[in-house]
Amino acid sequence: MTESAAAGIHPQSAATPAPIAPTKLKVRDLHFYYNGYHALKGINMDIPEKKVTAIIGPSGCGKSTLLRIFNRIYAIYPKLEAKGEIVLDGENILDPGYSMNRLRSKVGMVFQKPVPFPMTIFENVAYGIRHHEKLSRADMEIRVEQALRSAALWDEVKDKLKQSALGLSGGQQQRLCIARGIALKPEVLLLDEPTSALDPIATGRIEQLVEELKSEYTIVIVTHNMQQAARCSDLTAFMYLGELIEFDRTEQIFTKPSKKQTEDYITGRFG
Amino acid sequence: MQANVGAVAAASQAQEARAQRDARQDRLFSWLLKGCALLVLACLLGAAGATLWGGRHAFGTFGWHFLFSAEWDPGTDTYGALVPVYGTIATSLIALIIAVPVSFGIAIYLSEVAPAWLRTPVASAIELLAGIPSIIYGMWGLFIFAPFFADHIKPWLTSYLGDKPDDGKLSWVAAHVPFVGKLFGSDYPFGASILTAGIVLAVMIVPFISSVMREVFQTVPSRLKESAYALGSSTWEVSWDIVLPYTRSAVIGGIFLGLGRALGETMAVTFVLGNAMKLSPSLLDPGASIASTIANQFSEAAGLQKSTLMALAFLLFVVTFIVLLIARWMLRQMAHKEGR
Amino acid sequence: MAADSLLYTRRRVVNAIALAMSTLATVIGLVFLAWILWETLRQGISALHLQLFTKITAYGEDGGLLNAMVGSFIIDLIGIVIATPIGVLAGTWLAEYASGTKLGESIRFLNDILLSAPSIVLGLFVYTIVVLPSTTLTNGSTTFSGWAGGVALALIALPVIVRTSDEMLRLVPSTLREAALSLGIPQWKLTLQILIRAARSGIITGVLLALARISGETAPLLFTAFGNNYLTFNPMDKMSSLPQVIYQYANDPGEGLHAIAWAGAFVLTMFVLLLSLASRLVLSRNKVSHD
Repeated sequence: MTESAAAGIHPQSAATPAPIAPTKLKVRDLHFYYNGYHALKGINMDIPEKKVTAIIGPSGCGKSTLLRIFNRIYAIYPKLEAKGEIVLDGENILDPGYSMNRLRSKVGMVFQKPVPFPMTIFENVAYGIRHHEKLSRADMEIRVEQALRSAALWDEVKDKLKQSALGLSGGQQQRLCIARGIALKPEVLLLDEPTSALDPIATGRIEQLVEELKSEYTIVIVTHNMQQAARCSDLTAFMYLGELIEFDRTEQIFTKPSKKQTEDYITGRFG
Repeated sequence: MQANVGAVAAASQAQEARAQRDARQDRLFSWLLKGCALLVLACLLGAAGATLWGGRHAFGTFGWHFLFSAEWDPGTDTYGALVPVYGTIATSLIALIIAVPVSFGIAIYLSEVAPAWLRTPVASAIELLAGIPSIIYGMWGLFIFAPFFADHIKPWLTSYLGDKPDDGKLSWVAAHVPFVGKLFGSDYPFGASILTAGIVLAVMIVPFISSVMREVFQTVPSRLKESAYALGSSTWEVSWDIVLPYTRSAVIGGIFLGLGRALGETMAVTFVLGNAMKLSPSLLDPGASIASTIANQFSEAAGLQKSTLMALAFLLFVVTFIVLLIARWMLRQMAHKEGR
Repeated sequence: MAADSLLYTRRRVVNAIALAMSTLATVIGLVFLAWILWETLRQGISALHLQLFTKITAYGEDGGLLNAMVGSFIIDLIGIVIATPIGVLAGTWLAEYASGTKLGESIRFLNDILLSAPSIVLGLFVYTIVVLPSTTLTNGSTTFSGWAGGVALALIALPVIVRTSDEMLRLVPSTLREAALSLGIPQWKLTLQILIRAARSGIITGVLLALARISGETAPLLFTAFGNNYLTFNPMDKMSSLPQVIYQYANDPGEGLHAIAWAGAFVLTMFVLLLSLASRLVLSRNKVSHD
């Protein structure tokens, strides 16, 4: 533990672990307000490329809020405002001129509850692709198959691609949503508590999938399950009351956290 | 390397173009949607405007006198609104006087009294009444209820309450209580009358009012009712002292909703009102309502008479609009209280 | 002590009377329902005859209701075809685009008023904007028409469809919107291809309810479609409809016509009740559920 970190003069000093890979998303002095409520207070963090970054913290700490700023999905609701910078490949995505279309094709997102569209399994994956690229039928079939294979779902659904996605099990639906997200070949994949609605077996499969996907994608996962963060992430960020308390290598956070609050949370003293 | 950069630039340019196209289509789409929504507004304004425009000759010719004149003579082309306006108000008020207590009873029965297994079937049956087309009410009123009324109810009313009994002997009530004799005195022999129309209207609006009441009674928090029951209150006391005050504004809203329906109803009334363009103090005499007058006369009317009918429609529209506005506003108050 | 028990007895009696009255009120309501349905059934079935469906009203007492049924079908179809797209899109605007805005709230409020506005006035409105202009434009060769009747019924169906679409779309979970938007799908595609599809069964219910409502409407047809004793499939012609013929026949002194009117009333009531039953089935069979 260094002096400055212990003194906590600059929160970002705690938020910058030793670099393990080039930075993909650079967050600088990010503030977030809804209806005037100050929900995120000066977040600074560097999210490395092709690694899994987990964000943990008690409910209401702002971890989901932070994730929802990375693809600006918050912007569909009125009275929400983000200030600061999030730099993706050298450009600030919070800049009003940054195309939403481009952002959403670069940054994919999977939600807490599986949300299949009311269409066939095939269409669920093809729907998003069709909007961004013009593909022939054959090419589309290849793309859909690739996406479903990457999401480890192909073997289970290859014979019922024309059936409604609403008939799949919860775990299958969630993997379908992941397939739908990666079918657009995004660079960053955001997972917002992706297993909170699933049973332990389905959760295990999703975690395994995250492990496989990180060779190609930068993954940010929000979870309130600390074991999950410990199992499948390379870096872990701990947030509390809208602030980033500590951001470091996962084994560091879970074995020798530098902040008292982090230690208290991890050892189950609150939250 | 150079080619690669070029390809990336081209791709991002294509993306930009797509983004712009999306934004344009989104804008067009939201205009289309907004246009459709504004049509609702246009319908209301249009209905008011068209009838006002159609009635301008009548308003211009008769002025304020129009509202207070009971004359209706196509021969001399003189028309006053009083008879149909009176008929509309009288039938609707009678309907309310009958329908409100009955609806309240039904709502209390369905939310507090009935055993659980009976509630859904009875509620669906009552709602079935609301689905029956009004022309069916009209036919039932004309062929079944009006003769029944003339045979069994009217003679009793005229001889015990009216000032024109068949045997010429005034009852005590007719002789001593003011107005009652006039209200129930009639020597018209048929079943069609203002009272008959009011009763048929009451049957029509009971399902509307009772379903609104039942719905809002169910929104009363059970902890409120339970704490009253815990103090030893009876079912009736809970309904009257807790449920009703808690839901008052919505109950009034439901009543006004029923009133709005009653004022504008055409078919159920036209058959049983008798269509007499003559003002009579008796509820047992035939009369006319705005809607029935329009339905009966519009096809054959021309010139000033047509304009008069349009003017009547305008009056009806404005009055029902205000009544329904109050109704919806009251219901909204309740919804806000619920935090919805 | 005696006063207490007196009070207690009084309260118990009041309660018993009040509850008895409320039960009585329900019984009265059910009696009237049974009475109306029973008479429609009795009089209608006894007058039911095959030629009701094969002959037209021009034959009077020896005729049927074929032209009225065809007319009703065409006019109702026109009404629904006009009102459905407009109503669904307007409901979509209220639910998806205008929630929380002043204009949106006002239109939602006014739509509820239009829902119970007097249909006869709406009929006169359509008379003014469709019948009168077409009379002038065609020098009187086209006056009343099936089209005008259809437009009048569309105005009555519109608020029903707007309201159910609005309510059903608001039930669609917002995660579905977020999921689609996070794929970069533009809002119009999201709305048309995902949200409306997700709320489909609710919207169909609304359309069926609107159809049930307009198929029994009489008043606005009197001065728009008018009536026609002969069979026509051309909506530019005057057209008769089931409720309008029932109205006309019931007002006629002829006993034979009354029987036909009852038969028509029976057919109409069965149709309307089956429709509202069907709409309930659609809604309960597949609810809007995505979570």
